[in-house]
Amino acid sequence: MIPDMKFVATTCPYCGVGCGLLLAVRDERVVGVEPWQAHPINEGKLCQKGRYAHQFIHSEDRLKTPLIKRGGSFVPASWDEALQLIARRLSSYGPEEVFFLASAKATNEENYLFQKFARVVMKTNNVDHCARLCHSSTVSALAKAFGSGAMTNSILDLEEARCIFVIGSNTFEQHPLIGRRLVLARRRGAKVISADPRLTPTAKEADLHLPIRPGTDVALINGLVRRIIEGGWEDRGFIEERTRGFETLRETVMKEESTLPGTSRITGVPEGDIEAAAEMIATLKPAALLYSMGVTQHTSGVENVLALANLMMLTGNIGRPGSGVNPLRGQNNVQGACDMGALPNVFSGYQSVEEDGCRRRMKRVWGVEELGEARAGITSTEMMEILADRPGRMKALYLMGENPMISEADQNRVRRALDNVEFMVSQEIFMTETTELADVVLPAASFAEKDGTFTNTDRRVQRLRKAIDPPGEAMPDWEILSRLARAMGYGKEFDYRRAEEIFEEIARATPSYAGISYPRIEDPHALQWPCPGPHHPGTPILHVERFATPDGLGHFSPVEWRPPAEVPSEDYPLILTTGRSLWHWHAGSMTRRSESLDGEVETGWVEMNEEEAEEMGIRDGEVVRVSSRRGKIELPARVTSEIKRGVIFVPFHFAECPANRLTNAALDPVSKIPEFKACAARVDKLRGWQHPRGG
Amino acid sequence: MIYVWATDPGVRRRGESGGAVTALLKFALEEGIVDAVLGVKRGADLTDGRPHLTADPKEVEGMAGSIHGGTLLLSKLFGKYLDGARGFKVGAVVKGCDLMGIFEQAKRGEVDRNNLLLLGLNCGGSIAPSMMRRIISEAFGEEPAAVTKETIHKGRFHITVRGEHKDLPIREIEGAGLGRRENCRRCKLKVPRGADLACGNWGVREELVGEVTFVEVTTDRGRDLLRRALEAGAIGIASPEGPCIKARKRREDLIIGLSNEERERDFAPLEGSRDRMRAVIEETARCIKCYACVEVCPALFNTTGPYRTSFPGLVPPGLEFHLTRYAHVADSCINCGQCQELCPMEIPNARIMHAIATDLQELRGYRAGEEGSKPAVALMRRPEGA
Repeated sequence: MIPDMKFVATTCPYCGVGCGLLLAVRDERVVGVEPWQAHPINEGKLCQKGRYAHQFIHSEDRLKTPLIKRGGSFVPASWDEALQLIARRLSSYGPEEVFFLASAKATNEENYLFQKFARVVMKTNNVDHCARLCHSSTVSALAKAFGSGAMTNSILDLEEARCIFVIGSNTFEQHPLIGRRLVLARRRGAKVISADPRLTPTAKEADLHLPIRPGTDVALINGLVRRIIEGGWEDRGFIEERTRGFETLRETVMKEESTLPGTSRITGVPEGDIEAAAEMIATLKPAALLYSMGVTQHTSGVENVLALANLMMLTGNIGRPGSGVNPLRGQNNVQGACDMGALPNVFSGYQSVEEDGCRRRMKRVWGVEELGEARAGITSTEMMEILADRPGRMKALYLMGENPMISEADQNRVRRALDNVEFMVSQEIFMTETTELADVVLPAASFAEKDGTFTNTDRRVQRLRKAIDPPGEAMPDWEILSRLARAMGYGKEFDYRRAEEIFEEIARATPSYAGISYPRIEDPHALQWPCPGPHHPGTPILHVERFATPDGLGHFSPVEWRPPAEVPSEDYPLILTTGRSLWHWHAGSMTRRSESLDGEVETGWVEMNEEEAEEMGIRDGEVVRVSSRRGKIELPARVTSEIKRGVIFVPFHFAECPANRLTNAALDPVSKIPEFKACAARVDKLRGWQHPRGG
Repeated sequence: MIYVWATDPGVRRRGESGGAVTALLKFALEEGIVDAVLGVKRGADLTDGRPHLTADPKEVEGMAGSIHGGTLLLSKLFGKYLDGARGFKVGAVVKGCDLMGIFEQAKRGEVDRNNLLLLGLNCGGSIAPSMMRRIISEAFGEEPAAVTKETIHKGRFHITVRGEHKDLPIREIEGAGLGRRENCRRCKLKVPRGADLACGNWGVREELVGEVTFVEVTTDRGRDLLRRALEAGAIGIASPEGPCIKARKRREDLIIGLSNEERERDFAPLEGSRDRMRAVIEETARCIKCYACVEVCPALFNTTGPYRTSFPGLVPPGLEFHLTRYAHVADSCINCGQCQELCPMEIPNARIMHAIATDLQELRGYRAGEEGSKPAVALMRRPEGA
């Protein structure tokens, strides 16, 4: 028999880089991944997650039928039965009693429909997604400084930078195909600076490593700003023509704590290195900034990003190739989920739910007479707070592909919150720690089983293409939502046969996507928003002539350093920081079912400084207990010289030793992002534990 | 040696050089000589080459035409996805590197050469898609999307844009830092004589350029195919003149001479053993252990088993990860360039491995990628448990 074989061009489902790949499909099974050399971002190259992206698709334990919980356990049900039940229960709740948690893993079409469902059918703005946990501080801060909360430049022009300042991003492991651009830029003579408490693979390949103490970012940036002003290296022309508020910035950094000794004292970075970094960033032009969760996931997340925006405006590094403020988005479609309005305060394209004009436009596009109140809904982190601490007000929770039991801070509290939900629905591809707590679980299609679009970190709207049918009765999230809307009497408003029809509606509803269509993004270069018209070429670089603020100027926002919500104490003398492993993705439902990835890294670990480990008598590989004020976990120690004294690191993928049982759910006051990147913790040796190698 | 062309005007129009290769493959499929054809199909534009398997003769026509921007290697697809072509026969269009890779895979039992009908294409080198776009925009000053045809002929790169023809010498393009892949510049297998037929346009008489393909018959299977296709009226043939055969040889020798210069230039910094080790240590320090270099290497078995046991999870992996692979490939590196082209960290894997293999091949008198001969030092037994 000759196999039926095809190669389907699509977009990687993991991180926000948005690499293209070919799925090798044999006889209706995805059997491999092959390079797609014509894709401009990765040119056929992939990291291990992309290379093995097919391995979980045909897992035996994929969800294949709707499940309804009866008497404490799940029973298979028909779609009709499940949707009727959900429709009946949801109809019994008011707009304030429900919450919709969308997903940065799902497509634009699905996130758009999800928020439309919440707003049209349930008349609520209580919709949010995991961007709350990653770059909500970026969105808030850059909207204030520049008028738009996205990556200002493109992955493709990074190579033109002469200096690249990487802070709070282990680019080589978390965005490997952007890491490659650092390699290429260095080959052309660029200098790379990495600020990170760990000597990560990224830091090792940098020209200068600044081993910063977690939670002292603003102090470091203000120190750099002061040194640049003292050196007379600021870009006066840019400051005068394109910005306002510089004088107040200057005043703020003139305090003692921003002197070289002051900065060094707070951050732990040697004075000479601060000085060298300041000179490089200011004098090697153009300079680009890359940052990620190490900056955003703090109670001072918004201030951290504002400080960085100050630094890049000060040095005139906005609006030209090789420069810019470049937040690296984590999820494959976190930019898109934000763009689609899966947020409590905006419709798609960041159109305010409180403005009359935007509301009129959405009513017209959606063909409805009324929407919910003209008031922003609550955020997902506030929802957790309400459920955990003030139960009764919030009754129902509808999730699409999210696993907060592993991904939210302070797991014990999340558990308490979810236990207090009266009715919970989850659309998923696998059973997870969260779906276990649901009342109805609906089987969804994976990335290989549906059409749609993802918007990557550089605002590029790219196609996802269906390679095979979903298993059993599973179906794409957009189809589930359409059917449920029909069951609730909104058949006319949710009448879609193909994902493309939803995208056409997105283009009508969203000014920044107005010129984008499926035929236009057949070319692997796709289109970067804003793309306001059918002949507009897309926008690789933002803020070239003017900023997106009402006055067209960039706004300096002076900020002062304040310590994290929790600082080391006698009982908890260490700072715990968390993050990802190159081999895994978030809560692990996909990567831990991928043999080539899970076979390489099977469980979590705590990375600790070798001197401190020796003082405590802890050996490499020894299982230890790590605890914080909120809980404790047991896991092997990875003893290394590559982490600062006083700091420990735990990856958050592993349900058996979840880092988020320890993290602090204290929130940034503006963006409501939790402080995943710094809390007080301790490490204890387990009594009676024997090292397997003896001794 | 013989001139061949398609008799079907449609095939002649869509294919290069008279459409001989397309006509032969289509004929082989129609007659049941092969059950399927594996080739390269144009995707979004002419820099986008994607692998394509079909059992439909009509689709073969759709795969006609040159794609120098298609830098993929077909060799491993048989073992990975097609049961090593066991149980059915596959016709494939191969460049020198595809062919050498198939031989190396066949020696390791990953593909059954007897079930393959291989039509070789002369190849002076291929160009990565992003580079192709740069050449079009930087060297020609044209919009890549506007180019409807590209071809390489007599050392010049030709494009058709808005119906107009333009060309530049490859030397000039490469002098400006653009051009073919690094491994292609070092390649010496320009006419793939190990295939069943070796086809191309080198040496074709000036007035026949674009009208006929110069075919070298290299195996009985190739001879058979030509005879049957001729009898059935699928192709026309003519004898090339003596000077054309000489011109073809001169062209081949010229390119091989250039390849020798490229080798000298690339290998010089890796000459001494200390320099070579230093390069390995420095370049592999940024490895993220994605396994691309293992997965795509046609001189390795279709398993990552032997490399996964070293330093699980550690990034960058210890040096042993790379040294083990070098040892396993050893003299079997065919310089296909995939390990370098697909490395996300821009490690010049192919340059290093080709340097090692070239030394070993010279010392042991072995030439990788040629049918029959066995390597002297490479891993030739499938790793246990893999």
